[in-house]
Amino acid sequence: MVEILKIEGLNKSFGDLTVLDGIDLSVNKGETIVVIGASGSGKSTMLRCVNFMEIPSGGRITLNGSAIGTASNGSVTYSEKELTGLRARVGMVFQHFNLFPHMTVKQNVMEGPKTVLKCSAVECSRRADKYLEKVGLGWKADSFPSQLSGGQQQRVAIARALAMEPEIMLFDEATSALDPELVGEVLLTMKELADEGMTMLIVTHELGFAYTVADRVLFLANGKILEQGDPESVLINPQQDATKNFLRGHGSFRLPEPNLD
Amino acid sequence: MEHAWDFSAVFTNSYLLLIGLKNTIILAVVCLVLGLFFGLFVGAARYSTRIVFNWPATAFVEVFRNTPVLVQIMWFFFAFPIISPFDIDAFTAATLGLTLNTIAFSSEIYRAGIQSIHRGQWEAAKALGMNYTNQMRRIILPQAIRRMIPAFMNRAVELVKMTSLASVIAYGELMYQAKTISTIEFNPIEMYTSVALIFFVLIFPLTLFVQRLEIKSKGRG
Ligand SMILES: Nc1ncnc2c1ncn2[C@@H]1O[C@H](COP(=O)(O)OP(=O)(O)OP(=O)(O)O)[C@@H](O)[C@H]1O
Ligand SMILES: [Mg+2]
Repeated sequence: MVEILKIEGLNKSFGDLTVLDGIDLSVNKGETIVVIGASGSGKSTMLRCVNFMEIPSGGRITLNGSAIGTASNGSVTYSEKELTGLRARVGMVFQHFNLFPHMTVKQNVMEGPKTVLKCSAVECSRRADKYLEKVGLGWKADSFPSQLSGGQQQRVAIARALAMEPEIMLFDEATSALDPELVGEVLLTMKELADEGMTMLIVTHELGFAYTVADRVLFLANGKILEQGDPESVLINPQQDATKNFLRGHGSFRLPEPNLD
Repeated sequence: MEHAWDFSAVFTNSYLLLIGLKNTIILAVVCLVLGLFFGLFVGAARYSTRIVFNWPATAFVEVFRNTPVLVQIMWFFFAFPIISPFDIDAFTAATLGLTLNTIAFSSEIYRAGIQSIHRGQWEAAKALGMNYTNQMRRIILPQAIRRMIPAFMNRAVELVKMTSLASVIAYGELMYQAKTISTIEFNPIEMYTSVALIFFVLIFPLTLFVQRLEIKSKGRG
């Protein structure tokens, strides 16, 4: 088994506020990890530390065997160049898509390979076609983001991240900003990626999705991993009171299995 | 009072007016180009959180925004030469005054334009692995400048009007030429009416263009 991502003793504070408090995590190639937890528990911050959108206050991140940053007498320093290089290897999908509105769908997807990886025009175009096809939006290549539905925009954002051919993909509440009827198409795209063996770290409130797709579920509380394991043990048979309370809140209103025949 | 309108002296002096028009346009274009160019840097300094950049830029902008342009031009023509080691002619003084003023205003347009771009755009660009220069060049500025164009055009309109202030320091732009001709020909009514018309013809298309741009950009949302 190849370890893609290793997080050791990750701390992050904003001023006096400690948001992450000693996170340890190892992610193997092809694993799908879902992070759940209450609002403010530090899920986004944890994800954002993995690609250094936030600089960790302490701890070490190792991607594919290479430790990021230079450690010297107890603290780790990071050069800007190293961080841009690392971000190119990690894909990120945001809650609000953040597509570039002045570019077409295809230009959005080509932008990373072109500007960051300096791929040839042919290669940029090939990648854009390939990944737009993968998310089922090849036919929208020449549209502008404003002409797409929220679900389509988010699938383009996924294609944009994939076009960098990243070693791991991060999803921060990728469906939270979507109308309920558009959530399914995005979750389906994410599930396909998981099935194809993409390594993924996913923050979501979609517990059904977590149950179906995750290899491992982490429950985060107060900046610590309070409980983790396979979906069955965390989501169905939680051990910690905090996890139980969280799940109780989420399961208050539940449909019986609908009869769809 | 009855006035017998007589534009003949306007036409016989039209070459003088043309020289004035040319000088007006030269002054406006020079000040606009220099003002927009240096405005970008002052705007970037205003946007910066570092005191060494931010503080002087802010002071500069506030001084030029909160004093009359006429005072600035007069200062550069009558006061500045006394303390500076080199001579300053009317064109240079007018250019200094109007350019610095344009820098101050356009820097605010740049700053506001860049600030109007949602944080998520910076984040998406950064997450792809772009460095700061590329984030700015590829993602932020192309969007920001589109939003700034109507404001810049408005500024250009204001600038063309402000060039007439240079007449007080005897720079031979349209207004100064008109004043000179009218004292020789005793035809202030026809002369200043003609100047007003010329300015209108020069500026009105610009204003129309700005209005169309503004409607278009509103339509795009
Ligand atoms: N840049 C920042 N500056 C200061 N405080 C921050 C910053 N980013 C996050 N925080 C704080 O850190 C805490 C954790 O935030 P984070 O966004 O990681 O939580 P979350 O688990 O993702 O919550 P949610 O489910 O609401 O998205 C919150 O209290 C938040 O206010
Ligand atoms: Mg969050």
